[in-house]
Amino acid sequence: MMEYGYYPGCSLTGSARKLDKGVKQVLKHLGHTLREIPDWNCCGALEYGDRSELVSFSKQNLTKAGAMKEIVAPCPACYKNLKEADGEGAFTILNPLELLDKVDIKASRDLKGMVFTPYYGCVLLRPEGTAIKNRNIMEELITSFGGEVGGEKIKDRCCGGNQFFANKWATARLSTLILDQSKGTVVVFCPLCHMALHTFSKEKKVIYLTDLILYVMGEQKTL
Amino acid sequence: MQIDAIIGLAGHKKEDLSVCMGCRICASVCTVNDLGKDPHNADIMVNPQELLVRLFLGEEISADNPLVRYCTSCYRCTDACPWKIRIPEIVRGLRESLEIASPFEKAFKGSVRIWGRVYEPYVFLMSVPFLFKEGYIKHMMKWTGYMSIHLPHKVKGGS
Repeated sequence: MMEYGYYPGCSLTGSARKLDKGVKQVLKHLGHTLREIPDWNCCGALEYGDRSELVSFSKQNLTKAGAMKEIVAPCPACYKNLKEADGEGAFTILNPLELLDKVDIKASRDLKGMVFTPYYGCVLLRPEGTAIKNRNIMEELITSFGGEVGGEKIKDRCCGGNQFFANKWATARLSTLILDQSKGTVVVFCPLCHMALHTFSKEKKVIYLTDLILYVMGEQKTL
Repeated sequence: MQIDAIIGLAGHKKEDLSVCMGCRICASVCTVNDLGKDPHNADIMVNPQELLVRLFLGEEISADNPLVRYCTSCYRCTDACPWKIRIPEIVRGLRESLEIASPFEKAFKGSVRIWGRVYEPYVFLMSVPFLFKEGYIKHMMKWTGYMSIHLPHKVKGGS
């Protein structure tokens, strides 16, 4: 039961509103409260070629967080940038996945007979130093709800999302590689991975992990 | 020299690159090599280690270099590198100095300059000609769930 500073980032207030809503609902269920960092600005994502400019964006956000020393940042790029800007470790930057590690989620449904492929993408698992610690958290959650995990070898490949709006064919090829090797429903946490995989998926469903948790919690009717 | 500008942009020091042992493990894991062929059916083969050496030796890297064009910032190279050299950031520095951002990326940065945040409807509208020309519009049906109509929020403290 904790109160955390919350950094939604640009995508969670736009194209990834579903993830924003899901994170808030799941963390509320766990008894956590989130307080949005006032007047937060863009983190620079992975677009800025001038690193000092990029880091300065996240440093401003940390200044704005002030006394809120524990900050939840769901978007993997925001999470990485905030962690890098916090060089001396004055803050604890958390991805919601880290708050889901070994917690008791009261499930009213199970996932028996269903197959899921957890896909983490790039910056949640790389580079060393800013990655999440438990690299199997999605697998652990899926199996704890009775679901089956497939497509183990693709979890840390790249969907090419960073090239989506420069060289679409490249993203199509890389995303298709992942979709072809996945089994059942693909589960993601990154807004960019969701968009890339969903765009190039012919019949496979791509969902956020929060959708899966809300489904087992009974707060979402379908997957 | 190009390397002096790049290492400044990438936040590296020149000696960070001189530690490269030439093991080429970065080349063996690079996502760009998974692409195989480009739309003109030409083979894409990249070696991030070669790019580092060429920069270090004072050679100019052009915008046509396939790694500069297609690097996905996936950090597989950095993770595998014994010295954890952050090659994606060097590539991003190269892109910045060569001014080769796509219209979408320019609109993305433009939005941050205006509002301090990315306002997606603006980014979309500013890149409509590019999105039409490059065939993104055919994905519109799938993108309806991502769209939201809302007013931009201007950051008071700037960015």
